[in-house]
Amino acid sequence: MTASAVNMPRDPMALSCAGVAVRIGEKTLLADATVELAAGRVTAILGPNGAGKSTLLSVLAGQRAPTQGRVTLDGRPLEAHGMPALALRRALMPQESAVAFDFTAQEIVALGRYPHRRAPGRDEDAIVEEAMALTDVSALAGRVLNTLSGGEKSRAHMARALAQLWHSRPDGASRWLLLDEPTAALDLAHQHSAMRLLREWAGRGVGVVTVLHDLNLARRYADEVVVLGGDAGGPVQGPAAEVLQPALIERVWRTPCQPVTSADGTVQYLFG
Amino acid sequence: MSQRFSARAVLGGSALLLVAAIVLGAVSGAYAISLSQLWNVLTTLGQGADKSPEHLVFLNIRLPRLLLGVAAGAGLGMAGTLMQGLFRNPLADPGLVGISSGAALAAGVTIVLGASLWPSLPRTLGSWTLVLMAFGGGLCVTLLIYGLSRSEGGTRMALMLLAGIAVNALAGAGLGFLSVMATDEQLRSLQFWLLGSLGGARWSAVLLVAAAVLAACVAARSLAAPLNAIALGEAQAALLGVDVERIKRRAVVVTAVAVGAVTATTGIIGFIGLIAPHWVRMVAGPDHRVVLPASALLGAALVLCADTVARTAMAPAELPLGVLTAFIGVPMFLWMLRRFRGRI
Amino acid sequence: MNGRRAMHIRFHRRDVLRLLGASSLGAAALPLFAQEPKLPKLVTVSGAITEVVYLLGAEGQLVGTDTTSLYPAAARATPKVGYMRQLSAEGLLSLKPDAIIATNESGPSVVLDQVRSAGVKVEIIEADHSWGEVQRKVQAVGRAAAREAQARELQAKLDAEWAQVQQRVAAFKGRKPRVLFVLSHSASPQVSGEKTAAHAVIGFAGGINALGGFQGYRPMTAEAMASAAPDIILTSTQGIEAHGGVDRFWQRPELALTPAFRKRSLITQDALLLLGFGPRTPASIADLHEKFATALA
Repeated sequence: MTASAVNMPRDPMALSCAGVAVRIGEKTLLADATVELAAGRVTAILGPNGAGKSTLLSVLAGQRAPTQGRVTLDGRPLEAHGMPALALRRALMPQESAVAFDFTAQEIVALGRYPHRRAPGRDEDAIVEEAMALTDVSALAGRVLNTLSGGEKSRAHMARALAQLWHSRPDGASRWLLLDEPTAALDLAHQHSAMRLLREWAGRGVGVVTVLHDLNLARRYADEVVVLGGDAGGPVQGPAAEVLQPALIERVWRTPCQPVTSADGTVQYLFG
Repeated sequence: MSQRFSARAVLGGSALLLVAAIVLGAVSGAYAISLSQLWNVLTTLGQGADKSPEHLVFLNIRLPRLLLGVAAGAGLGMAGTLMQGLFRNPLADPGLVGISSGAALAAGVTIVLGASLWPSLPRTLGSWTLVLMAFGGGLCVTLLIYGLSRSEGGTRMALMLLAGIAVNALAGAGLGFLSVMATDEQLRSLQFWLLGSLGGARWSAVLLVAAAVLAACVAARSLAAPLNAIALGEAQAALLGVDVERIKRRAVVVTAVAVGAVTATTGIIGFIGLIAPHWVRMVAGPDHRVVLPASALLGAALVLCADTVARTAMAPAELPLGVLTAFIGVPMFLWMLRRFRGRI
Repeated sequence: MNGRRAMHIRFHRRDVLRLLGASSLGAAALPLFAQEPKLPKLVTVSGAITEVVYLLGAEGQLVGTDTTSLYPAAARATPKVGYMRQLSAEGLLSLKPDAIIATNESGPSVVLDQVRSAGVKVEIIEADHSWGEVQRKVQAVGRAAAREAQARELQAKLDAEWAQVQQRVAAFKGRKPRVLFVLSHSASPQVSGEKTAAHAVIGFAGGINALGGFQGYRPMTAEAMASAAPDIILTSTQGIEAHGGVDRFWQRPELALTPAFRKRSLITQDALLLLGFGPRTPASIADLHEKFATALA
């Protein structure tokens, strides 16, 4: 599946950050990032280790306040929305999550419905079941999460994020699914099925923003990429095909890169 | 796949256990009251009939003691659950926030230095002094530990743990110093206070404690679902819309009030806050919406059972309660560990 | 004439016999008709008070004692209500006493209030370590046991003993020894200053408390002992046992610099006898006084 290389209109109501920097003491985690994200697209955040990908994602999620700059959603600053309101339309799947006590996978996925507890739908149980089916963890429903493998835990957390955003908002507000390296622990088959799932959700209008370490997955499934860690300050944002040129890849990741075209027409890269 | 009992079964079972413990406590005691006499007392309540000795013993001595036991166990069980949920650690117990050690230190000060600090205090007010000092001491130490654990990001549980360890050690040292200064009699009084007892439960104090614990339990209900979310980690819980700071503050306050009121009246009753939540989790899973109420019920049942043994094993003398909660609690806990060890 | 007198006497004897028979029958019938007063049942909390009960012959009325009531030996077999500072209301009431006699060191006070409100008389005796304390104990037991006459007798006897002992002590012309009391209940031994039972006892027996300037008990330190410089160490037999014997006791480093150590001047007495402030106190003081005199000689 190719990413369409069209001019993406910049939507002022979307999720965006301007001039965001995050510093802790002397250390700069993220320097001067200006990014605009639109709903209905899959955007991949890429970069080498330490480039600030997770930091950018957490700032966009509202989890972390930037030292400088601001983040806006629908034209208003994130703080103005308030965390409980944000939780109704924005989910963040973390890179790793240490869960206390022996909650089962199903109970963890059900926690995704916590923000909706004041206005539960009639199908709360069904949502949890279907979310688990989407990420292929239905068979693990009754198992204690902490006894599962890394990949199984990842899929359970992804199901939780999906459950959180299950229904579209009655007021038509955009939904945002943010994921931090969702494929890191997954096996090959699940990596691709997960990315296809994300594309499907983007197709339904959800804004999908995912940190990825695998450039090939990004090239194949993302509409747009944001590359951090280039020497030219600030992230490079644009359609995947345009941005992911061998020259940039080699500059940012310091690895020789050779593009090849696969049988279905997608460009993939060989490294080393 | 996991052999858990349903919420209804667990809550129903705990409630039944509590009722059984209350009945056992009502019919047992150093003073022999037959079942028919007990029935007579219960059915002629409030009739102002001539008070037989059985009436007086049951209504003025045994009944307030039963109610105090229920309040104490419920408060400790509930607070233990809150602390374990807050610290995201099954080894936490209410003592971590310093309530018990603060109360103990204040009690020590009152017992050892009370005569020199308040020499002209009449005897009846003197017993209230100990209760009020212990309650105040517990609250002060908790406030101190909570204050020490605050940083710009909010309250950090790791800081609270460390501050709690340090302040608890200081309180312990203070108690040690007081016991060196104490006369033999004061030392024995302090020792007994530290071992815990439901004796000397008078209606005025019992009703206050029961009210405090009831208020705390009601306030704790709204903490159950957020604590489930906090099990994912404070960051994830915040992303789910949980006001983590507010939850922490409320949990600490509820614990301080409940455990403070109980400890001020009964001395230190150990072990209940630690094991009651564990037992419930072993049979019901970790959902706080079940663990919180079930721990309160189970804690109350445990305290009542231990107190019944304390009152009858060496009648007409009494054993200290804190010793019994350990003697009874530990073997049962070890049995449960073996029984359910596959899921530890 | 003889016959008539004999008949007279026989008649007289018969009458007397009949009268005696009637009255003995009547006497046997008395319990059925008269209300014999039941003697009140007692619980005593404190060893000395229990001793008074036995001396008044009222042990049949004793239904319970505390753990410090160890004399006479029979007292150990009575039901124990626990340690005097940690009494149980229901426990006390289950013995169905009419009165409880305790010192002001007993507690908790709420328990005693609960017992009072159940209709049991609770007599508290102020323990001020004076002879008055012993007198109050005797009077209180006499009142509570309805044996006031015997109590007054016992009181008089004890007062006389006490007066005798005090006279002997006052008449003693020798130097008053410096005495130090060591309390050994817990791991670290403590020594007693003013306002303690030991301080009073030492004074009564004609000695001087080697430690002054503080009240209550303090841990025993070598420097404090050296500066106190007691001629005699006084302690309880239970304390010596806890130390493992007299020799082990003298091995304690704190004692090495005292004059008492040089002459091994140690006086021991049973703890209850020594500090109980009860009916055996005059004998205890007399014994102490003699030993003081011998030690200095």
